[in-house]
Amino acid sequence: MTAPLVVLERLSYQYPRSETLALRDISLEIQRGEFVGLIGPTGAGKTTLCLALNGIVPQFYGGRFFGRALVAGLDTVEQPVHALAARVGMVFEDPETQLTATSVENEIAFALENLRTPRAIIRQRIARVLAVVGLTGLERRHPHELSGGQKQRLAIAAALAVEPAVLVLDEATSQLDPAGAAEVFSVLRALNREQGMTVVMASHAAEELAEFADRLFLLAEGVLVEEGTPDTIYSQVALLEAHQLRPPQVAKTFSLLPEPPVRLPVRLEEGLAALPKQLVGLEPPAVISQRPHAAPMISVEGLHHRFADGTPALTGIDLAFYPGEYALIVGQNGTGKTSLVKHLLRLLEPTQGRVLVLGRDTREWTVGTLARHIGYVAQNPDQQIFNATVMQEIAFALRQLHFPPEEVASRTAEALTVLGLEAVADQHPFSLPKGDRARVIIAAMLVLQPQVIILDEPTTGQDYAGARAILDLSRVLHEQGKTIIVITHQLYLMPGYAERVIVMGKGQVLLDAPLRQAYHALGVLRDTQLSPPQAVLLGQHLCPAVQLLTPEEVAHCLATSQASGGDPC
Amino acid sequence: MNIQIPSGEERHVQRRGGATIDGAPVAYVAALTAVMIAFTIIPLPLSIVIGFGRSFPLSQGLYGLVGWLLGPLAGALANGIGVLIGIFVNPQNTTIPGASVAGAAMGALAAGVLGATGLRRRWTLPLALFFLLEYLLYGGRAIVQNGADVRAVLAGSFINWSALLLFILPTRALCARWLRHADLRYVTVALFLGTWISSGLAHLTSATWVYFIYNWPAENWWLMAPAAPVEHVARCVIGAIVGTGVIAGLRATGILKPLHAAY
Amino acid sequence: MLSWQTVPRQSLFTRLDFRSKLVLMLGVTGVAFLWESPWWGGALTLGTLVACLAAGVTLRYLWGIFRLLLPFFIFMLLMQGFFAGPLIIARTRQTALTPLLQLPEHWFLLGGATLSAEGLTYGLNIIFKTLTMVLVTPLTIFTTDVNAMLVSLVQLRIPYKVAFVFSSALRFFPLLAAELHGILEAQRLRGLDLERLALPRRISLYARVAVPLILGALVKSQQLEIALQAKAFTGDPLRTYLHEARLRAADYALIGGVVLFLLFAFIAYFAWGMGRFSV
Repeated sequence: MTAPLVVLERLSYQYPRSETLALRDISLEIQRGEFVGLIGPTGAGKTTLCLALNGIVPQFYGGRFFGRALVAGLDTVEQPVHALAARVGMVFEDPETQLTATSVENEIAFALENLRTPRAIIRQRIARVLAVVGLTGLERRHPHELSGGQKQRLAIAAALAVEPAVLVLDEATSQLDPAGAAEVFSVLRALNREQGMTVVMASHAAEELAEFADRLFLLAEGVLVEEGTPDTIYSQVALLEAHQLRPPQVAKTFSLLPEPPVRLPVRLEEGLAALPKQLVGLEPPAVISQRPHAAPMISVEGLHHRFADGTPALTGIDLAFYPGEYALIVGQNGTGKTSLVKHLLRLLEPTQGRVLVLGRDTREWTVGTLARHIGYVAQNPDQQIFNATVMQEIAFALRQLHFPPEEVASRTAEALTVLGLEAVADQHPFSLPKGDRARVIIAAMLVLQPQVIILDEPTTGQDYAGARAILDLSRVLHEQGKTIIVITHQLYLMPGYAERVIVMGKGQVLLDAPLRQAYHALGVLRDTQLSPPQAVLLGQHLCPAVQLLTPEEVAHCLATSQASGGDPC
Repeated sequence: MNIQIPSGEERHVQRRGGATIDGAPVAYVAALTAVMIAFTIIPLPLSIVIGFGRSFPLSQGLYGLVGWLLGPLAGALANGIGVLIGIFVNPQNTTIPGASVAGAAMGALAAGVLGATGLRRRWTLPLALFFLLEYLLYGGRAIVQNGADVRAVLAGSFINWSALLLFILPTRALCARWLRHADLRYVTVALFLGTWISSGLAHLTSATWVYFIYNWPAENWWLMAPAAPVEHVARCVIGAIVGTGVIAGLRATGILKPLHAAY
Repeated sequence: MLSWQTVPRQSLFTRLDFRSKLVLMLGVTGVAFLWESPWWGGALTLGTLVACLAAGVTLRYLWGIFRLLLPFFIFMLLMQGFFAGPLIIARTRQTALTPLLQLPEHWFLLGGATLSAEGLTYGLNIIFKTLTMVLVTPLTIFTTDVNAMLVSLVQLRIPYKVAFVFSSALRFFPLLAAELHGILEAQRLRGLDLERLALPRRISLYARVAVPLILGALVKSQQLEIALQAKAFTGDPLRTYLHEARLRAADYALIGGVVLFLLFAFIAYFAWGMGRFSV
């Protein structure tokens, strides 16, 4: 047996100005050709571990380092980072900040140029790695012209160009839409299976890791909690949930059975194989229209929009949103979701058609007045922070609009309480974690007491616990009578929150239906490359007519049918 | 909380920072350069008519801030390249590209030296002499060569000579001290004053160059007398508000501070 | 959106090295600076304009620049036309100017001012100077690939780190410009109708948009720093380059031509008064 490619021996690390260890006593080995997944909640130490593999931890940050990390025989404390860069290819989370050149070919050439590779070899490598990631022909493009998935594939190509011994990816798909993430995973699978590339990937994508990884390492609070194949790790549902991780829905479903199998299935095909034959004779649930009988708050009539360069963004949208609804808008990036909601706020104006808010054409409103009725939280909270303390940030709009001081104080205090931000009221918003910064922005919008709240991809880049916290908050606001509109492509998160789903594709509404019905419109979802949750697919296999949504529902149905000897649940 | 003692042997960590320009990481310089480009090319609806019949972009209030964030040399580089690319991308923003680039760079240099500690304080005198020479070429030439009225020139170049005076006087040291003050109110005052100085000297550098080419008529000095200070106060307000927000944010996030930064 | 442009077609200008084009830019700017005669200056502007069109700079772009500069040109023309008298008398030792129009005496501040033919001519000279300097920029920059430019800059002994700042700023500014747009929207979505506010409050609110942009850029720059290190970036000028920059015969010919032109222009100006302002 050959020597392992990566060896970590009792590795511990403490960042400067930090009192706790980011990694503690980590010992592990990774063999050549393995595909290894790193899983754990935010703050578990996944990024630190990735950065320790190429020496950035500790050489860039400083701090205290204990034990030893060997990669391809090189000690990562002794070798300078630029020497390790020739052995370790890195791909990071943000597609934007890791691409530094002004053209695709220069991006791939950059590391090679730094390593003083002759021009002729650089040319050969560019052609080769572009073919590997499927970007041949785009050599002269500016990175700005690529889609999110293409950017991450370019980052992988750039990492591969130095012919590294190991490819390390830190949350490389978490900011992509499902189509982009699928592109990246398919490139990784081909690299690993066909070329034997060693891959280390930190990710929250449980279903994909179950599919592709050979081994998983579960980290929590800097400690290696568990190590094993996806089958062993993902079948320990209680362990995962104790660490606020989401198991694949297949595993979760079978874990909920009164007598779960000894080894839980963790991949969809295994789950499907483990199900009994299709149950027949089930009655479809009555679809109860949850649409209130009130007049719509917002009506969109025959809406068309073209961008300044002539590209059509929206082509003929007719929709209405009713008071007290919780609606979901789903679709890939570039299908017009954000363009649609920007029309509701008059940030965009119709090229044709009209939008009515509270019965008045948006052209008669100013953006400012409209914003007092419709609160919008954009995807990146950091772009929305203008003040030096949480309290000032929340009170900002009220003060600028000259509300009486007593009212500013009372509304601010109320928002702080609702969002659970009292303890950090005097802190700078930037000193808080990302999830909390998003809450500051929600609070700052809530003080204007809007009737409608739009959350644009609120869960992107959040771990499971963080995503649930924001969605739970949306539910509280919904229960208080607010109309909620959420844009997302993470379908598995939304049952239990949203009531209605609007599926968008190519600037049109492809489907507008109650959530249960929409999640089972597999044809429409497939056409837009959206993946329905695994529980929906299990439900389809088990009893399509019933339109099961969650692992709990599927497990309940399965358990009932088993108990009654195969009868309908 | 993991407070256990690590079992592995502690290693000697040699910090090898990345590439720097005068103590500021190259990536920081690149980021602030990109910020300057963005502020140079994005037209904000702030049409204040100034002495030259042009409106000014937000970037003019931030020349000094970049100097305090990066240090004098890296700041001058970021401003210079930022404004230069801004002109390439959007040439109608200025009529004399060289004057705008030189002004932006000198603004950050003046600010960086104003906020300097240690040996860098010695850069003050040569820099002050340089600005004095510029002023003689600007106002002096107007009076001697082009026959403009002394009072008109003094009134029209108030923002320039006042900035030079404040740069030479102990106000410079006061500014440097208050920029580092824990109380943000002091920081705001220092930023206002510091922007008056740095943007005033940046304006002097540009205007000297512009005047060489345009030789505007003597009446223009009187026109500039009320307009220039109003617009300069707008720059200082921008510098103070943005600077306070940015410095408060940087202190809160604990982002690595460049070697010659002055906050 | 405004962006860095590159001309779509190949021409003599796109084949030239950036260094020789830089010499051309400096030479033309120097002569524009020197000449005060609107006729010579106008000829230089025309030459630069023709070169721009030959190099493939679009008429639409050139017209866009001209339209935006037009108000400034009109202001300049009137200002110099009415008030340049004393300056022209000092420069040309001429005692009387040719009046074209006199404003009524009772007009506030401007009453009695005379529009002179000499003043207008001096104004034209300034307009041509400005136009030449503005036009020579796209001629040089838009005909050069950014990456080739970077290599040329390094060969001009510009430190690699400085050249790197130049190129990575070009990579990131479209990102920040888009972000700035998002921030402006976010502020309007806090219920503030900025366009309706008084100027001082508007300035203070607009200034606030810079805060998240700068802080965001600095946070990102820390991630960029890590990405750079992971790509073996050390700032060391000893590295190879994908693109190459070589001076060819045409480049040497251009550099020689510009130097000769510059010499001639200076000698002719001082010896025979060619390009001097005269009436």
